[in-house]
Amino acid sequence: MKRPAPSTVRWLILAALLVFWELFPRTGIIPELFLPALSKVVVVLARDWHEYASELAVTLYEVFFAMLIACGCGILAGALVGGIALLRNLLLPVFSSLYAVPIVILYPIFTAWFGIGSQSKIIFAGVYGFFPVMLSTAAGIRTIDEQLLLAARSMGATVPQQIMRVIIPASIPTVLTGLRLGGALTIIGVVVSEMLTSSAGIGYLVTRYRTILDSPHVFGAIVMILLLSIMFDVLARAVERRTAVWQTAGRKQREVEEPIGRAAPAPV
Amino acid sequence: MKPNLTVVHEAPARPAIEVAGLNHTYAGREGDVPALSDISLTVSAGRFVVLVGPSGCGKTSLLMMMAGLRHQTSGKLDVQGQPMAAPDPDRVGVVFQEASLFPWLSALDNIAFPLALRGTPKAEQHARSTEMLNLVGLTGFGARYPHELSGGMKQRVSIARGLVQDPPVLLMDEPFAALDEQTRMTMGHELLRIWSQTSKTVVFVTHSLTEAVYLADEVLVMSARPGRIIDRITVNLPRPRTYEMMGTETFAKLRDRIWQQIRKGE
Amino acid sequence: MTRFQIIAIRLLLLALVLAAWETLPRNNIVNPMLLPPLTDVLKTLIQIVQRAQVQEAILVTAAEVIVAFIIAVPLGALIGVLIAEYEYAGQIFKPLLFYVFSVPKSIFLPMFILIMGIGFQQKVAYAAFSTLFVVIMSATAAVESVKADHVLVARSYGATRMQILTRVYVPSMMPILLETLRISMIFNFTGVMIAEMYASRTGIGHLIANWGENFQLPQLFAGVILLAAVAITFNEAVRFLENRVSAWRT
Repeated sequence: MKRPAPSTVRWLILAALLVFWELFPRTGIIPELFLPALSKVVVVLARDWHEYASELAVTLYEVFFAMLIACGCGILAGALVGGIALLRNLLLPVFSSLYAVPIVILYPIFTAWFGIGSQSKIIFAGVYGFFPVMLSTAAGIRTIDEQLLLAARSMGATVPQQIMRVIIPASIPTVLTGLRLGGALTIIGVVVSEMLTSSAGIGYLVTRYRTILDSPHVFGAIVMILLLSIMFDVLARAVERRTAVWQTAGRKQREVEEPIGRAAPAPV
Repeated sequence: MKPNLTVVHEAPARPAIEVAGLNHTYAGREGDVPALSDISLTVSAGRFVVLVGPSGCGKTSLLMMMAGLRHQTSGKLDVQGQPMAAPDPDRVGVVFQEASLFPWLSALDNIAFPLALRGTPKAEQHARSTEMLNLVGLTGFGARYPHELSGGMKQRVSIARGLVQDPPVLLMDEPFAALDEQTRMTMGHELLRIWSQTSKTVVFVTHSLTEAVYLADEVLVMSARPGRIIDRITVNLPRPRTYEMMGTETFAKLRDRIWQQIRKGE
Repeated sequence: MTRFQIIAIRLLLLALVLAAWETLPRNNIVNPMLLPPLTDVLKTLIQIVQRAQVQEAILVTAAEVIVAFIIAVPLGALIGVLIAEYEYAGQIFKPLLFYVFSVPKSIFLPMFILIMGIGFQQKVAYAAFSTLFVVIMSATAAVESVKADHVLVARSYGATRMQILTRVYVPSMMPILLETLRISMIFNFTGVMIAEMYASRTGIGHLIANWGENFQLPQLFAGVILLAAVAITFNEAVRFLENRVSAWRT
């Protein structure tokens, strides 16, 4: 018997999960408190669409600005620290040690400083995303093949031309990875901080409805967050794939110290 | 008409490359390292000269100096009668071991790159690079990207790029080293064809003695570091060169001589 | 730049940061209510670690971290190895794992709370859950990193499966395994912290959240420094081991 394609199996698994999600709570195998039936969740989402949408808007607003911080600073810092040997030797180990600290413990400090509104979440999620993006960019910058720069120089390229025509195009795959990572992490950071202390946002909905034991609403919010992160990931990976061939993976590509955290960004 | 077959009596034109009393040291971890010692050589216009020598003898460094990518500590190095203060694609085209094509540009755009740097009008870029594409035997592959090309094809693009500004001198640093043997032989043959159609001066660095004898008018043998020129061997095999020549006694004797000299110089 | 110079400059930078932390609040350039001077924080730190409540909290957190780790790592390693060994399973599950990563696992925290309440078990379960996936991925990567060539050589000399396991796989994977431990601990620690901060009555995370809510900044900063110190120490210790074992790694 020929094996079905892996992607088919995946879809089957997902379909099965959805079916179980509907049946198990209905038949009482799992109490509805723990896991409300899928149909109930969908109904709740449809009915209270307005509430979910407006909280989602808050979350997206926060994610956007947090991304600006995390990706803007992260990519820039990563390019500098990764590209300039002096900075790299000096600072990179320091940054990767700091990565070991659970950033989430800083969140109470941010709420003390900035209150429980959007500002503290933006800053927290920005910081949360900063380190992995910086580390990833620093690693990626070093994969730019030096030979390309030598070739450009041999053709008489001036320094501005080398930057514009070689370094920048060659960096695009790394930058895109940084954007994907930063986006994923800031979504996570915003959701976590909204869950912890907040008065708005999708994460806040999760907490609010949990405390009144309204499981369908809790799961409605969970589903929204799942959809948000998965859609972002799919989109980002699609964009990244188009430029994957630009990765100058020459024979001389150096073994760069990549934290496993490059593929697995966030401890959350 | 190939310049090599012209009579010896003709007054030599200005040499394409002139090196006199060149020395080079670089700063190593434990003090200065002498890399090249008292190098003097002349490459006449239109000649195919090959540099061989043990690893680390400085042949690549010397080539880099001819390309204007590195500067010698002392001594004279002139290309077309002028020193190489900086890379000058009007005088010198360079082909590296790693084809170093830009992965985000198509083959044609890669070839046109030096022209784009100069701000050459698009139409002329297209015309020149297509011409070069055809010259290296890649007609129809202009729209392909480097990741879609084989090793040999990439090197052809690299050669086309080196020639696109029609420099009188072409420098090649072990361009076929990364290719398998069969492709190497084909590429060597192709290179000679291209060379015969364009009458450039070529300085070619290689580790392969067979390649050296097959391609060269003259083989310069370098010693181990600090590199000196210890022998000049003229290859009198007729042109165009054929694969069959590789089996002749003359060929073997030339190879042997080169090998002996390299061993003496180590 | 010699090693000595590099370390010297780093210490200098650290000293500057610490000096700023002390002088800026003391001289009211920065509001000392928001950023207590460093010496105050350190004094508070010494005070709080002597308090029974805090010591209990530390023990609770430590216990949660250790137990979650002991659950997640072997389980994740097993699954990861299976995925690496059975290519078909790998093809099915690896893309799923990648998506799992971009999802905030903290959104499942309410589920754990609904099912298990807010006690020790729930926090351990949640932390193990959030650590599990990175262990799986790392284990898979570790197994795949063993060069097929080496295995082939061993087999051609007649090595048994057990010998191949112990003499090729284990030494090959050692650097990655250590890195896995290090990264898993980061995830694990973070998971425990989130669970404690979110809904808990015990543990350091809960204390920190509390201090934050009650605007007790010196205690809050003290707690953060303590946690950061522990996290970094563990991280560097494992990294030290990693470096010793991976000198041969190309």
